[in-house]
Amino acid sequence: MLTAQVQEEIVPYGELLAQEAVPAALISMRDIWRTYQMGEEQVHALRGVSFDVQKGEYVAIIGPSGSGKSTLMNIIGCLDTPTRGRYWINGKLVSEMDDDELARIRNKEVGFVFQTFNLLPRATALHNVELPLIYAGVPAAERRERAKRALMAVDLADRMMHKPNELSGGQRQRVAIARALVNHPSILLADEPTGALDTATSREIMNLFERLHEEGNTIIIVTHEPDIAARAHRIISIRDGRIEKDERVK
Amino acid sequence: MVRIKFLRSGGSFYENLWMAIATLRAHKLRSSLTIIGVVIGVWTVIGISSLISGIDLAVKREVESFGIRSIFIYKFDIGFRTSEPTREERMRPNLTYEDALAIAQLPSVEVSVPFLNITNNRWGQKILVTRAGKTSAAVRLEGTLPDYERAGVETISEGRFFVQYENDSSQPVCVIGSSVADNFFPYGSPIGETIEIGGREFRVVGVLAKREQFGGGEGSDDVNNVIYVPYNVARKLKPNADDVFILAVARAGYLDQAKDEITDLLRRRRQVPFDQPNNFSIETAESIVQQFRSLMAGVAIAMVAISSVGLMVGGIGVMNIMLVSVTERTREIGTRKAIGARRRDILWQFLIEAATLTGMGGLIGLLLGWATSFVIRLFLPSYVPLWAPIVGVIASVGIGIIFGLWPAWKAARLDPVEALRYE
Ligand SMILES: Nc1ncnc2c1ncn2[C@@H]1O[C@H](COP(=O)(O)OP(=O)(O)O)[C@@H](O)[C@H]1O
Ligand SMILES: [Mg+2]
Repeated sequence: MLTAQVQEEIVPYGELLAQEAVPAALISMRDIWRTYQMGEEQVHALRGVSFDVQKGEYVAIIGPSGSGKSTLMNIIGCLDTPTRGRYWINGKLVSEMDDDELARIRNKEVGFVFQTFNLLPRATALHNVELPLIYAGVPAAERRERAKRALMAVDLADRMMHKPNELSGGQRQRVAIARALVNHPSILLADEPTGALDTATSREIMNLFERLHEEGNTIIIVTHEPDIAARAHRIISIRDGRIEKDERVK
Repeated sequence: MVRIKFLRSGGSFYENLWMAIATLRAHKLRSSLTIIGVVIGVWTVIGISSLISGIDLAVKREVESFGIRSIFIYKFDIGFRTSEPTREERMRPNLTYEDALAIAQLPSVEVSVPFLNITNNRWGQKILVTRAGKTSAAVRLEGTLPDYERAGVETISEGRFFVQYENDSSQPVCVIGSSVADNFFPYGSPIGETIEIGGREFRVVGVLAKREQFGGGEGSDDVNNVIYVPYNVARKLKPNADDVFILAVARAGYLDQAKDEITDLLRRRRQVPFDQPNNFSIETAESIVQQFRSLMAGVAIAMVAISSVGLMVGGIGVMNIMLVSVTERTREIGTRKAIGARRRDILWQFLIEAATLTGMGGLIGLLLGWATSFVIRLFLPSYVPLWAPIVGVIASVGIGIIFGLWPAWKAARLDPVEALRYE
């Protein structure tokens, strides 16, 4: 009983604090930790990361392998939850959401692009792009229309009925980008989107990201290639789970 | 369109169904091996239930062709028996001609006639039927009274039944069944012709209309292979015989009362002590059908056992295949979660996949069952009772849901980050 009372006193106070501190930024992280328990010892993939991203920014996250870039991206994309710390998207406190609410955020607020594309192999490009809309409960006809438009936006109008194994790496990644954009998310996240592509194709994809940014999308991209990072407007360097440098380059 | 809320945000039911069918088509061999158990389970239910329904209908028709107001009385147990008469049964006194006449006097009884079977003579040898060099030992020979015509079991198609006078004066006349007519009188009318029974000449006075029977009937199993002669004449062909079968017909609406009156009368006439069971049996069409149905209950239980084993085997197969499928598609599950699938969406996806798998098994079983019933219909008036396909479909889909639950739950609970990292 005693503990329950104590909690009752503390929690509203804590929420009060949180409410006072609701940031205006699109993304806001405060002292984010992500700790993995490996048997006896603890691995801290993130050690107190704090930063804000405003609407319309184009951010690159760079850092050596194992520094925590993917861990951070997964938390931003709500695929993972921080062990400690607070995280807001559009003023909503994500770090305390339950599973269903997180699924909704993943569906509506963020679009995720992976290094390995992660398309459903047996589905056509069109169906792959429709998938987020299916989980959003969009009626079939509207779904199809929006998926087509998203594919046109990435110049794949003529490949809609192709399956992933009938597409090149660059085309697959563009399908994945169309899928990420189809539900008009607040932010586009890409974890090493060119990691599996050759140089020419990488440039093509980076041009696409640049265009999407010019069209008003907020983008965060993880990379370890300096010339790719150089295209962003802001570079956050991570080392050993901490932000080492956060600089505006354009 | 009606949409249930919990299905809605996972796209639609159709979407899941479409995906499930696509997945199953991609693994045709694996899918078909998995559903064999379910196919057999449902096939058994449909096949055997149509067999049972067919036999049931045939037996009911045949028994009822003896009249739904008919009461059958004999010293041994009548109906579907699986054993020889017991010692107690063999010790029972015969029913007599006089018993039959006494029953006829009861107020609720319309007709009561004795039958004396003389197919075999008193030494157990067949009494032969002969005409123009043709001989048969398979004809059922019965002595009865003209009143039998009033029982409504047989219809005369040609000529007439013998009359009381012919019985009282022991005239050698007979009424023949349609098969006897076909056999011995293939050309022209048998009326007025003679036929030899046990070495004596009989004059045919009537031919009976053909009776429908279960399974066709051959030789001595053919209900139409029968000759009726006057009771008194039968007594002469088989002297000292007094082992009588009695057919009584109740007045309309008095079947139960007639049964009670006959039972009381026979217990008195046969001096059965009040604390002893009847030493004769008294049955109606309904009670014989009832006997048959309790016999069939055993078959039904065997059917349930076979089909449940089939369904269980199918269920375990489905669980196994779904677990494999979940593991194989870990990345797909991670991807779906990354783009907004909730736990319940994944759960539904896999449940619908499992239910589609077993449901297809059920459907195949259903088709095989119907085909089987079609074959059965060549021999029996078989039909597939409505409940059988309903139970078959519900059971097969239900099996998919029950055994798919655990794999689907495993899939739904996968952590998206780990699922996406899975190789
Ligand atoms: N599931 C996990 N269990 C244990 N340690 C993990 C797990 N995921 C990541 N890590 C560790 O966290 C650190 C950061 O990993 P990650 O974010 O993938 O790095 P990056 O993407 O920058 O290469 C690494 O040391 C990695 O070994
Ligand atoms: Mg990484």
